[in-house]
Amino acid sequence: MSILGKAVDWLDLRIGIRELVKTSVTDYLLPRNINAWYSLGSILMVGFALQVVTGILLLIHYVPDSEKAYASVNAIMNVVPYGWFIRMCHAVGSNLMMAAALLHMFSVLFMGSYKRPRELNWLSGFILLNLIMGLCLTGYLLPWSQLSFWATTVATNAAGAIPVAGPYLVEFLRGGKLVGAPTLGRFFALHVAVLPAAMVGLVGMHLFLLERIGISTPPFGQADSRSNRKGDAFRHDAHPGGLPFFPNYLLQDLTSISVYLAIFLAVVFFDPYLFFPKEAFLPANPYLTPAHIKPEWYFLPNYQTLKLFPSELLGLAAQGVAMTLLALLPFFDRGEERHPMKRPVFLACTVGGILLWFGLMIWGHYS
Amino acid sequence: MENAGRRRFLTLCLGGVAAAGAAAGAWPVFRYLAPRAAGDSGAKVKIPEKDVPEGGAKFFEFAGASAVLIRKRGGELAALSAVCTHLGCIVQWQREKQEFLCPCHAGRFTAEGAVISGPPPKALEKLPFTVADGTVTIG
Repeated sequence: MSILGKAVDWLDLRIGIRELVKTSVTDYLLPRNINAWYSLGSILMVGFALQVVTGILLLIHYVPDSEKAYASVNAIMNVVPYGWFIRMCHAVGSNLMMAAALLHMFSVLFMGSYKRPRELNWLSGFILLNLIMGLCLTGYLLPWSQLSFWATTVATNAAGAIPVAGPYLVEFLRGGKLVGAPTLGRFFALHVAVLPAAMVGLVGMHLFLLERIGISTPPFGQADSRSNRKGDAFRHDAHPGGLPFFPNYLLQDLTSISVYLAIFLAVVFFDPYLFFPKEAFLPANPYLTPAHIKPEWYFLPNYQTLKLFPSELLGLAAQGVAMTLLALLPFFDRGEERHPMKRPVFLACTVGGILLWFGLMIWGHYS
Repeated sequence: MENAGRRRFLTLCLGGVAAAGAAAGAWPVFRYLAPRAAGDSGAKVKIPEKDVPEGGAKFFEFAGASAVLIRKRGGELAALSAVCTHLGCIVQWQREKQEFLCPCHAGRFTAEGAVISGPPPKALEKLPFTVADGTVTIG
């Protein structure tokens, strides 16, 4: 018997690994009409793993000190062997992860997969999206470039519009009146410890819910695309006669991950500074605000919304209302129908919302 | 049998591709983590002569390690590695006794670097130097 076989026997005797693999992998059935959009979750897991690995590697040479941070990042890019590669993977990876998370959310929206009994999947996914944004925001400051400094100044300043507590909140976020060494300290702690730990916990919860409830059935290609969940008792969506996760869907997962990695590496190798304006290559100067400083593409709609409203408070409130509605969507959208073409009001609102979001992003970019 | 052979061949090919991919990813990580060769190993260190008073010592970094320049009583200069040959601690200059002491295990060296007593197995490494226009150039 091979060494692998003996190792499996050893584990099987102790933790019943064959049964575990059978129930969670080979006999874990998925709906027969499952599509490629369902592999976005696996793509995000790979993306997050890459961020963790490259992040740990960057920690070896990065110095979280406002006097030394820029020079340490410069050294990573120019002196440390393959430092540029590790950093570009981390920077490009964060942008592509954000894009994959948004696509994941859009696909879940269109296929009505957030509906009962998957309200908690949606909510945990929504919080995960916000954590990714938090990771991007906190990571943005760490290179201590002009872009880092002023984008963080603008982003933290937005909280000042909140009545009464606003000015104190801004100071609390920054650890002082202005962005400075204390801001770097707290953003660094959030970026490398607090937010990743929260991500891991929530990803675990998201996967537990997925496994426990079972995969949703896509509404496409079915005579009846309504939710089949009725009654008060818990039931696992077993999909009898469906496709096993291994090997069938794993192949789709691997295909999608390969496409993602191809795009990722293409950006890293052929256009590594795609997401870097020129201010990213200048050390932070608290006495010199660059002209036209703008946030990352995924924060541009928020940025433009704040500019459009006559008062910052109204702009913040509008975004708060939109985010709350999105977070609680499955709790008030309780209809059984899941096919987007059979939900014209929902389809119009969602497509309109997405177009508005992209419109604000483009407007923000060129404004 | 033919299927089994084909399957084995495909497994080997996939394994090979996976191994090549893993190696392509692991190499940059290894190079990123590997200690960098001291790029300035051939670089010379210049110290003004006046920085080393008679009977005194000046410690400095040379080729990525600690070194020391001393001026013995009488004015003669000596440049030595400051790394103890026992377990790599940094030796200290005993000005009064005009000798080196390793604080880790009490190894003693003369001003020329020769072992006087203690566990060090050999003398401190001597470093080449030249003196010109009031500047000592080590290396």
